[in-house]
Amino acid sequence: MHLTHPLELFPERSVTLLLFNRVRNAAALRKKAMEGSIEGALINPAMIVDPFQVLVAANKAVHLHKIGKMKTRTLNAEIIFNLSPNNNISDAFKKFGISDNDTAVLIVLVVDREKTVNLEDIASQVEGQQVSLDELPQLTDIAKVKKIYKITPQEEKIGTLLDGIICRISTKDV
Amino acid sequence: MGVLFTRSLGAQVVLPAKQWVLVVPRSRTGTAVPPVEAPRRILLRAGERRARRFPAAATEDCRSGERRACAVWRRGAVMAAADSAGTAGAEDGAGTGADGPGAGEVPPPLPGLQLVQQGAEARVYRGSFLGRPAVAKLRIPKLYRHPALEERLGRRRAAQEARSLLRCRRAGIPAPAVYFVDSVSNCIYLEDIVGAIAVQDHIYAVQRSGGDASSLLGLAERMGQLLARMHDEDLIHGDLTTSNVLLRPPAEQLDLVLIDFGLSFISGLPEDKGVDLYVLEKAFLSTHPDTETVFQALLQSYAAASKKSGPVIKRLDEVRLRGRKRSMIG
Repeated sequence: MHLTHPLELFPERSVTLLLFNRVRNAAALRKKAMEGSIEGALINPAMIVDPFQVLVAANKAVHLHKIGKMKTRTLNAEIIFNLSPNNNISDAFKKFGISDNDTAVLIVLVVDREKTVNLEDIASQVEGQQVSLDELPQLTDIAKVKKIYKITPQEEKIGTLLDGIICRISTKDV
Repeated sequence: MGVLFTRSLGAQVVLPAKQWVLVVPRSRTGTAVPPVEAPRRILLRAGERRARRFPAAATEDCRSGERRACAVWRRGAVMAAADSAGTAGAEDGAGTGADGPGAGEVPPPLPGLQLVQQGAEARVYRGSFLGRPAVAKLRIPKLYRHPALEERLGRRRAAQEARSLLRCRRAGIPAPAVYFVDSVSNCIYLEDIVGAIAVQDHIYAVQRSGGDASSLLGLAERMGQLLARMHDEDLIHGDLTTSNVLLRPPAEQLDLVLIDFGLSFISGLPEDKGVDLYVLEKAFLSTHPDTETVFQALLQSYAAASKKSGPVIKRLDEVRLRGRKRSMIG
């Protein structure tokens, strides 16, 4: 149901994605995330077109964490910040983090390979139904994504929307 | 044995045969300066200047007078360190050639890694990155350069390449997507265009199987349009050759992709665009004999597609008159 992918460049780490739909306690979850009492980054799935987008952002976040050059204070915040095309941290949270009346939540965890993660523990804190990541395309708001990432019409002729987004994530502030 | 001191620099000495004597260099005021101090003072000054600009290198000990051949000394030390790192890298099973790991960097730990190409600037590896076929471009460190300069240059080139690829994508010019830029090892991870062949290989195949039919002219037209769009964005590729343009299958669709933006930069000058086209012309005509008509078609298509092509073509004609064995008349 969930998706786990190892990070090739960081052999001890892997990324797990969990998608929840029909979530009722988004406000409480957001508060918990801000306090840091919930594991993982809480992301608005309407902004995500493909799990690869999150993997690239997480990969960059782990790299920056390793060399000590993160722009935010925690790894989870860095993942959300990396998803954003501009350099404003609070704007990134507003657009890519969850807001109080969201009905779907994507949770991203970066874990060490040896440590077993308690997924049920996290799932129990969410008052909603965990669904497979194959349902992610249905939750995506493509028009809003194009507007936020400023994807030009000629870009879509030479590649997919995902390619354009990945380019922006990886070359921001390079 | 007397030593005659004169007003001029140095001393005139009256010697018996075969006797060595210390020649004392003089400063301008006429006071003797011991020879071993003077060179060291000059070197330290250079070292101070360098240390101010590149503080990381300040702790290097090679600036003392005795170790004046410090370039060789430093290179020896770096090579020794690199060899040990290189042998560790070879054990990773990168499968590179005999000279592969010796240059001192470890290939990226991608699964399914294999060396595709080694150019002068970088090594290209193929592998999978986060589940997708990807290409990793690892810059070869040039050990004859000062390490601080090398690091700065490597970082700048990687950043330039990534930014140019983004600029291409924004403008609708087909180029690989950037997956990750590793600022520590100056390695960039790009989308792998699976199944594509270089235009160079395509032209070889066409020429071997029969004359340059209309397919090559169609290819040239498409390339001209692509380059026109690139130059209209004020993006100069810097290394235009037929091996830096890929053709995606099926070949009839003329789906071209530009790669290798390592030497690219932004410029609006017709001079730079003209030189870019001249580089392509030289590479084209030297690699593929009897293709003058093809290149002419490329230029015509470029002139038709680009809005600013007039000055560029004019500049190209001027650039052709420069260079070796050309008469500078007119």
